[in-house]
Amino acid sequence: MSLRLKLLLLGLATLVLPWGGCQYAREMESALREGEENSLQAVSQTIAASLQGRTDLLYRESLPPADAPDTPTRGASGHAFLQSGPYDLRPLALTAAPLLDGYSDDWPRDPSAWAYFAKDDRHRFAILSGVYERMLYLLLEVRDEHPLFDAPGTNTLDPATFGDRVWLGFEDSQGEQRAVFLAATGPGAVTARRIETGEYGQQSAPLEPRIHGAWQTMSHGYRIELRVPLSMLGNGFGVLVDDRDARGADPLSYGTLRSDDLHTLGRLIVAAPELTSYLAQFLQPGLKLAVTAPSGRVLARADALGQVTGLGPGTPILARLYRRFVDRPGTRALLESSAPIYDRDHTGVIGKLEVTQTANRWIRLRDHALMRMLNFSLSTSVVAVTLMFAFAAWLALRLSRLRQASESALTRTGLVTSFPDTDSRDELGDVARGFSTLLQRLNEYTSYLRTLAGKLAHEIRTPLTIVRSSLDNLESEQVPPSARVYLERARQGSERLNAILIAMGAATRVEEAIGSAERISFDLVPVLESAVAAYRGAFPERSFGPELPAEGVVIRGAPDLIVQMLDKLIDNAVDFSAAGALIIVRLRLDSQAAVIEVDNPGPALPAHVQGRLFESLWQSRAGANSQPHFGLGLYIVRLIAEFHGGEASAANLPDGSGVRFAVRLSR
Amino acid sequence: MKRLVAIVEDEPAIRDNYAAAFTREGYAVRTYANRAQAMDAFTARLPDLAVIDISLEDEPEGGFELCRQLRALSAELPIIFLTARDSELDAVSGLRLGADDFLTKDLSLPHLIARVNALLRRVDALRKPNTPGELVRRGALTLDAERMQAQWDGQVVLLSLTEFWIVHALARHPGHVRNRQQLMDAANVVLDDNTITSHVKRIRRKFQGIDPKFDAVQTVYGMGYRWVE
Repeated sequence: MSLRLKLLLLGLATLVLPWGGCQYAREMESALREGEENSLQAVSQTIAASLQGRTDLLYRESLPPADAPDTPTRGASGHAFLQSGPYDLRPLALTAAPLLDGYSDDWPRDPSAWAYFAKDDRHRFAILSGVYERMLYLLLEVRDEHPLFDAPGTNTLDPATFGDRVWLGFEDSQGEQRAVFLAATGPGAVTARRIETGEYGQQSAPLEPRIHGAWQTMSHGYRIELRVPLSMLGNGFGVLVDDRDARGADPLSYGTLRSDDLHTLGRLIVAAPELTSYLAQFLQPGLKLAVTAPSGRVLARADALGQVTGLGPGTPILARLYRRFVDRPGTRALLESSAPIYDRDHTGVIGKLEVTQTANRWIRLRDHALMRMLNFSLSTSVVAVTLMFAFAAWLALRLSRLRQASESALTRTGLVTSFPDTDSRDELGDVARGFSTLLQRLNEYTSYLRTLAGKLAHEIRTPLTIVRSSLDNLESEQVPPSARVYLERARQGSERLNAILIAMGAATRVEEAIGSAERISFDLVPVLESAVAAYRGAFPERSFGPELPAEGVVIRGAPDLIVQMLDKLIDNAVDFSAAGALIIVRLRLDSQAAVIEVDNPGPALPAHVQGRLFESLWQSRAGANSQPHFGLGLYIVRLIAEFHGGEASAANLPDGSGVRFAVRLSR
Repeated sequence: MKRLVAIVEDEPAIRDNYAAAFTREGYAVRTYANRAQAMDAFTARLPDLAVIDISLEDEPEGGFELCRQLRALSAELPIIFLTARDSELDAVSGLRLGADDFLTKDLSLPHLIARVNALLRRVDALRKPNTPGELVRRGALTLDAERMQAQWDGQVVLLSLTEFWIVHALARHPGHVRNRQQLMDAANVVLDDNTITSHVKRIRRKFQGIDPKFDAVQTVYGMGYRWVE
């Protein structure tokens, strides 16, 4: 894992900040929610208390006189409206007015809200009722195998024209029994008429204009949708269906009205229209108030939930994103609270107040804080990660620079004098300084090694001179012939020592020669030709194959040094090849350089010597030659190659049969 | 009268060995260990020839200084530098100070004595200007083996003894390649290739000082040198 990656991961650890922020936001949210729930509870209790005993509002039942004593008949939960009679109608609190078209699709889908009345299997009907804004809506579905409309005509009182008819019977607000009938000559709008008997007994059927409706046939029957103003209605209400199988026939009457006098049997248990406006005064945006009967039926509601848009299009994308991380799944977006509504005596429950509040209010609050916090912490994280990454990159850069410098310092024998980053005051600077010091010492050591041979030669020369001059003097003395053998041996030994000394000083002298060499322009080809001719004489046991270009190759340099360099290469090639071997001396040209190559058959170079061959005092292979050898030959080759702006290299021949030394000389 | 050879050398064993050899050859020998001693003696009496080591006791380059002082006393006195060093720079500075030869200590005693003899012969020959010696003439070059003097177009080329012998060996058989060993033998020295090369370079430069077009000493790469007329 790279340093960059590690520090990047470390930087990612700062993401714990926003994570912690989210946790905090959640804590804050639940605290807010709790507080909000408490206050909502208080609100609902307050409103419920204000509704205590208001059966006039909840059920349109008149209040008992304030001074009326408690009657035993109306004991605990003994309110008449709370007892469910079979013919009672309990309208739903509708949230929207159904369209009066005779179809049921805009009514709530609530099977339990339907009331059913059956004469027998073939004669039954179902009523769904609802209240919306001071209007009672009725949906009446009558099962009838033979639906029959009135005959078209103008006289609705002519019994011969009678088809299926429906009676509505109700108590008006004064408690008078009233009835209207609905008759239609075809599908569509239907009108209600009441039957009035005139002074002289003549009957008329004036239109009841306040009642609107529509009549549609359906399979096995018909459906009627009606709207009646609540102001027309008192407590009693009922429906009677006159089912006729033929026009003018005697009807089969059934329903919730007495069939003889159309007297109501059941009650209409519905909240006063004022209840809604009463609730509305407590309404705030984001709040929904509902009053329900103990049975759970909604009597009235005031709804302003939609007025607060939680996730409207205006919500910033960032906030939506954050919310995804913070919102716990399953958290309700609504707060609900309820409080029972007691009767006047606080003995019975006459209803329940339900208050619902959208979570939006505190979600907004939370979102605001969350946004700020997340923005802060995330940008902190981003900055931290970026800084760490940049820092890591910088460190890695410095490290790689150090590495490169140390590598190049170690591979080149001419050690680097300057090391990067040594001015930094941090630990890397220390490392660089350490390296620099190390290299400096290495440099001193290497140069000491390099000059060691020369110094050694110099130091040995004096005692050797003593030995040799003594031997020279001894020659002139009277030495017995038996001792002369030893004298000769001592002389041979000192000559060899001298040869060694000369070899040891060779590199120093070459360096000096290079220092004083003059560059001239000369043609390499004749120089090499001449040199190869000389090698043929010097090494009769090897054959030489010069491969030289036909035309001249002019370079700038010192021909003496070039020949000296070639001498060393040939010495090397001769050392490591067997007698009779063919040594190839090649001169080829490439784009910027003249390349001298010397190929010799022989053992391949071991891999570890690559790159070290041309160092001073480095000897890779024991040569066959007994001449003193200090690993300076190839070092001299390198010195001369570098003097000519080139470089020396060694490689095994592609077929592995030998070794190729190449020297590039810049042209 | 015996010729007086002064040996200035701080190493007693070498000094004594050299002294013994010169004495055996019939020279009078005085030996000095440092510059002060030598200079005191030289101001009193000049020797016929001085062999001076470059580093003298605590003076690493005391020999050079001594050479300069000695040269101030006498322009003709033959001076041979003898040193354990063999660096090119030393040779150049030694010769520039007016030494007649610059030798390393690995030279054998017979070789050294041969040189001393040769130098003294040259001094003698120069003192007898009218006796023509054995002359070698090669075009513009005239070599006087007796005086060990070379002339080019009639002008004297100031060559050190080693240089003279190298030129002599080359010019005696023009066109023949003399390898380095042959040149060393002729010059009574043991030198490595680079030293020979720099000697040849110096020879060329000295001739070119007189005739910029001088090109008579040719390098035969890998083999040696030859004189071309």
